[in-house]
Amino acid sequence: MGMSLQTGQADPGKTYDAIVVGSGITGGWAAKELTERGLDVLLLERGRPVEHGPDYTTEHKPPWEMPYRGEGDRRRLEEDQFLQAEAGPVNEYNGHFFVNDRESPYTFDEDKPFLWIRGYHLGGRSITWGRQSYRWSDLDFEANAREGIEIDWPIRYADLEPWYDYVERFVGVSGQAEGMPQLPDSRFLPPMPLNAGEVRVKQGLEAAFPDRRLSIGRSAVLTQAHNGRNPCHYCGPCSRGCAAGAYFCSLSSTLPAALDTGRLTIRTHSIVHSLMYDEGRDRVTGTRVIDAETREEPEFRGRVVFLCASTLASTQILLMTQSGRFPDGLGNSSGTLGHYLMDHHFRLGAEGTLPGLEDRYTYGQRPNGIYLMRFRNLDDRTRQPDFVRGYGYQGRAGREGWARGIAEAGLGAELKNRLRSPGRWRMSLWAFGETLPSYDNYVTLDPDVTDAWGIPVLRINCTLGQNELAMRRDMTAAGAEMLEAAGLTEVETWEDDYRPGEGIHEMGTARMGRDPRTSVLNAWNQLHDAPNVFVTDGACMTSAACQNPSLTYMALTARACDYAFGALDREEL
Amino acid sequence: MDLSRREALGRLTLLLGSAISTPAVGAILPGCRAEPPTPDWVPQALTSDQFNLLEVLVDRIIPTTDTPGARDVGVPSFIDRLLQDWADVNERERFLTGLAAIDEESRESHGALFREATREQQNELLARLDEEGVRARDDEVDPLPFFAILKEWTLVGYYTTEIGATQELQWLAVPGRYDGNLPLDEVGRTWA
Repeated sequence: MGMSLQTGQADPGKTYDAIVVGSGITGGWAAKELTERGLDVLLLERGRPVEHGPDYTTEHKPPWEMPYRGEGDRRRLEEDQFLQAEAGPVNEYNGHFFVNDRESPYTFDEDKPFLWIRGYHLGGRSITWGRQSYRWSDLDFEANAREGIEIDWPIRYADLEPWYDYVERFVGVSGQAEGMPQLPDSRFLPPMPLNAGEVRVKQGLEAAFPDRRLSIGRSAVLTQAHNGRNPCHYCGPCSRGCAAGAYFCSLSSTLPAALDTGRLTIRTHSIVHSLMYDEGRDRVTGTRVIDAETREEPEFRGRVVFLCASTLASTQILLMTQSGRFPDGLGNSSGTLGHYLMDHHFRLGAEGTLPGLEDRYTYGQRPNGIYLMRFRNLDDRTRQPDFVRGYGYQGRAGREGWARGIAEAGLGAELKNRLRSPGRWRMSLWAFGETLPSYDNYVTLDPDVTDAWGIPVLRINCTLGQNELAMRRDMTAAGAEMLEAAGLTEVETWEDDYRPGEGIHEMGTARMGRDPRTSVLNAWNQLHDAPNVFVTDGACMTSAACQNPSLTYMALTARACDYAFGALDREEL
Repeated sequence: MDLSRREALGRLTLLLGSAISTPAVGAILPGCRAEPPTPDWVPQALTSDQFNLLEVLVDRIIPTTDTPGARDVGVPSFIDRLLQDWADVNERERFLTGLAAIDEESRESHGALFREATREQQNELLARLDEEGVRARDDEVDPLPFFAILKEWTLVGYYTTEIGATQELQWLAVPGRYDGNLPLDEVGRTWA
């Protein structure tokens, strides 16, 4: 199943039709869409190559074959990944898909910690992403305008709906159609099943709250063969890589499609320092690159540039693109570049025990949980007095395993025997909440600190606001209320410290808008300041909604590629 | 490393939609490869007396029954490696102090070193320490008492070995399908 992603050499003497910066979720899509329309594309990836299949070195490895049983070499982590390892998804099996914090620093005030969790390699974070895939609705796109918060999105659901359809046909999203207006259905592959515990919680919860909906998670994991990729075999830990290609990532999906066209050149170890800007033509002419291996500094030319380097990295490249006309960075004539950084705040929820079902159990590891859709501030009836926007819950039911023995009294043969059988059915709800855009949450180039390549690192300044804090009180209480209403016992709320960025859903800092005086990008993800630059990763987001954002990034990218192709064709760029 | 009661009781690690299905708990402590000691193997962090006592203790927690126990699969050497390569100075110090206190408590209660006490006396002491440890975990005491840590490391060290996962419990690398509702009888034992 291994597929070589080797291509021809990148040519500094050539003007490519398009340069795509970054090979993660959006870079992969940009490469696919642009090459399939006949364009010659150079894809620049700052990290190392990863080969789909052969380089998934820990796939299916049991804990006893790992030096630290899967949880990492604590002392090395404290030295090399002291920030990355703070994020839940990072572990010994997938640690090689996350950056070394010593080599890739960023800065923040000590009292305002930010977790910037990154993967510098071909495929980026599309290898390790959570795969949850949800459409937005006009509840989200209209929120800023309706509430008078910051600026309006320049697009609506109708603009994106055909592009959601389009990307879902290729991605393969499994899920259950529910017909709920706040979370439009995708074009689904068959859903994964809820387990016995979840079915019972759903019944109890929806009987008590008829307008709320608990559904199986909508996931970019295949429940049947799709576009030449294999269905899930339920081994569980997707983030180690999947040679079967059962989940969507750049390496299994978009990059092979782009390579099939024969028009894609991939250059790895290529750190984009900045863009080359021609004031006379009002256009960008290409990219300045630092080769991470040779330290050479080649330049590559393109008619258009797609910045898909990830939210903060794309903004950093724009901030680094300084000229007489744009001394504070290209795209920053509005003064908003770097501002309005958002994430999804979480690390809180509720859990409880499901009585009964002692004779039921599960088989296989479903890489997906439940999704309990947003139910606050949908209309006048659900309006909240102390916060706007809303939140959803991910979660799952499952029986306790052997680890419960750590916290239960008992020793010896009795303990060992007891742990041979699974324990109680427990249901957990994890809330994920919308963060409002705020000018005070921002990144700048650090004036004092540079990275190993001499590039100023990002200084990140981001905290939760009053709306989020008020929402958090409701996120725990409402979760417990629903579990109790559903008949669970031993219901408890829980809340841990949340550091902005930890959601790994960083969004904003180069937002879309109608007015060049208050936004960086227009309705086509095109820089107001230089129309042949498109930013289609999370940097473009004008608000954050509460659902996982990657599917929306994909739809925005495909739509922007279609527009860019037309504009190139019309010689507008 | 100190699992709160909530974590230990099986909070399921769900981040960003990824149901990280590390067996049982994601937040569990790191551990090193546990290999039964070879004849020329010597403990690194522990003296041979401490190591011998540790062997007895882990065997009382997860004994050899119709399947191998914690001592058989090398949990003592796993814990020695944890102390050597993983624990910080304070954690190691607390562990060694706790280990020594077992003998002291045994002498106070029963007038004999732990190893020399009767099986009944040993069980009585360990049951008391276990109850204190569970209560401390419930109350989120930090740092946890020695025995709570010992029990945690023993269980982790045991159930993440091949024998613990596949002979005592069951484990499948590639299940091939998902069934969310089947009789426990058809599955048999806990999934490791």
